[in-house]
Amino acid sequence: MFEDIPVDVSPMYEGERIRSANMFVELAGPKSIGAELVQVKDNVEDGKIEVKGLELADMKEGEIYPLGILIEIQGEKLERELEGVIERRTHELCNYVKGFMHLNQRDQIWCRVSKEAIEAGFKLEHLAKALSILFREEFPIIEAISITILTDKVDVEVFLENAKSLYEERDSRARELSDEDVDVFYGCVMCQSFAPSHVCVVTPDRTALCGAINWFDCRAAAKMDPEGPIFEIEKGKILDEVKGEYENVNVVVADRSQGTFDRVYLHSVFEYPHTSCGCFEAVAFHIPELDGIGIVDRDFKGETPLGLPFSAMAGQCSGGKQVEGFTGLSLEYMRSPKFLQADGGYERVVWLPKEIKDELADYIPADLIEKIPTEEDVNSIKEIRIFLEEKEHPILERLKVSTEEIEEDEKSVKSSEIEEIETVEDSISTVAYVPEMTLPTSRGIKITLKNAKIYAEKVIIKRE
Amino acid sequence: MIIAVSGKGGTGKTLVSSLLIKILSETGKDVLAIDADPDSNLPEALGLEIEKTVGDIREELKQDTAAGEIPVGMNKWDILDYKIMESVVESPEFDLLVMGRPEGSGCYCAVNNMLRKIIETLSSNYDFIVIDTEAGLEHLSRRTTQNVNVMLVVSDISKRGLLTAQRIGKLSSELDINFQKIFLVLNRVKQENEDLIRNKAVETGLNVIGVIYDDAEVTEYDIEGKSLITLPVDSNPVKTISKIVSQILN
Repeated sequence: MFEDIPVDVSPMYEGERIRSANMFVELAGPKSIGAELVQVKDNVEDGKIEVKGLELADMKEGEIYPLGILIEIQGEKLERELEGVIERRTHELCNYVKGFMHLNQRDQIWCRVSKEAIEAGFKLEHLAKALSILFREEFPIIEAISITILTDKVDVEVFLENAKSLYEERDSRARELSDEDVDVFYGCVMCQSFAPSHVCVVTPDRTALCGAINWFDCRAAAKMDPEGPIFEIEKGKILDEVKGEYENVNVVVADRSQGTFDRVYLHSVFEYPHTSCGCFEAVAFHIPELDGIGIVDRDFKGETPLGLPFSAMAGQCSGGKQVEGFTGLSLEYMRSPKFLQADGGYERVVWLPKEIKDELADYIPADLIEKIPTEEDVNSIKEIRIFLEEKEHPILERLKVSTEEIEEDEKSVKSSEIEEIETVEDSISTVAYVPEMTLPTSRGIKITLKNAKIYAEKVIIKRE
Repeated sequence: MIIAVSGKGGTGKTLVSSLLIKILSETGKDVLAIDADPDSNLPEALGLEIEKTVGDIREELKQDTAAGEIPVGMNKWDILDYKIMESVVESPEFDLLVMGRPEGSGCYCAVNNMLRKIIETLSSNYDFIVIDTEAGLEHLSRRTTQNVNVMLVVSDISKRGLLTAQRIGKLSSELDINFQKIFLVLNRVKQENEDLIRNKAVETGLNVIGVIYDDAEVTEYDIEGKSLITLPVDSNPVKTISKIVSQILN
């Protein structure tokens, strides 16, 4: 199949690096320009190969030249949406060619040709030929393929500009990719060495807690290292779209957490929040007094309105625990349209450190941004309440509703005592407000309190 | 073949590493030097300048990721791969990769996992890899040296230097890290004391593969910050390391 090509073509050469001491020329890379682009087109002349500009034989040893690789494809089932996926294979396929090094993708490629390959008579034309065969083999839906290699600076510059605008177009499409658009999520247990029951579920709308890997990265990792810590999760039946609960995700987290927990809501801090590893970028925490959510990130050194710094808060919920009212998250997740959507998203957020608020300014709804206080505006829950009231934060609606509900409940139970309770509310501080809480019982009875406010004259905490 | 050089800080790891690199690269094979000591000075010893360390790249990637600056369609593995390649200092004789500063706060699991694989792939392209490890025992517990074929433990004549050498030997067997070979290199030995030091070194449980004498020239090079690989061919350190190399290769 590759008999006209003077060097070996095989997957075994993947990962080949060419030291500058062994290289004939460098193409693209940090000291020059270059790009590769796959485009779905009509009227593609199958098998056409063209090298525009200098061939390797005309290049000077040790020099660096620009490089453009244009791959045009056609096929009945080919859509423009597939261009990115197909283009990503260019890296691996180029590396099949012995004596040709290829790094990275898009306009960040870096190639080298070895002296040995040149001695064997290798030309860019052969690279194009190999790619043409390999792509068709790899993607049977490609019915026609034509490859153009550019090495002239002016040509590559024009090509690069065009390619950049197409990458941007693709990225904005990819950014719109959401949980509903895919059938597979990814799980990551890289942190299990110190958080043995933590299973990170990574979806298009929810990056890993550490912020380091998104759905696309996981897809690449699971493919590169199928036995590795990142694996596919078929999402299965949707149990609750808003909360982000999926039948098969529950099954997989139960399995991978050694049965420690078996339900997870991907987009809520309540009931079954996502477990937290220990290395999350930020924590979302419920502030019971305001029924709002505060967020604190790792770089925030002060105390949160709950009186705890990040480190103490992280200590409470890390290690793979599922702690209602707390969840670790990445800053990127705060840019997601599904950010804690079950809880009300940003409408529920009542406190943020200034630094992340500024960083996320474009992602917080414009009508809310001034209504969410930071450490510069407030220092305590009382001050937050005043701030929220001044700015008319939507959380007030929620607070009103829940207080009314409580009043009604109380009315129906002990109507005579209502007045008394109302008057003492301000002098006795709320110790805890719990939207839902299960009391420890035995013998198959389950007692659940909803919207409970617990008052206590004295709280005694003993260390055993 | 991967050769790692370890030992207590200040015992002469960098001297041994740089001469190993020099001598191995004279065989005409491809040699990669890895400086895994955060307080690194291997580049100076090799007479090379570095622009960026792996640590710098790791921080950059973390920052770019946190700021949401990495295009969605780009693969972080590939980006890292490229940046690591970019950080490799290439000389006609050998290449150098500097690990650089230790991690900051936050999670490094993902990025380190990627780095491990990338550096493995990169390394597989070389005939010889020489790792100048960080002082002490951390490289063992973090298993950054677990695929090492030959471990050279360097000690000077101090009790503490020998104790560290002994611990490296013990810990590696406790952690089930099986180096194919592990040897002790004694450094800064006064010729007249050689027998005495060799006797003391028995306690480390490691076989001595070479003895470098206290060398006025090395001291002078160190003071002036001169590249150690320019030490004369007939100097004692170069001759000792040459012998060690031929012993390892046989």
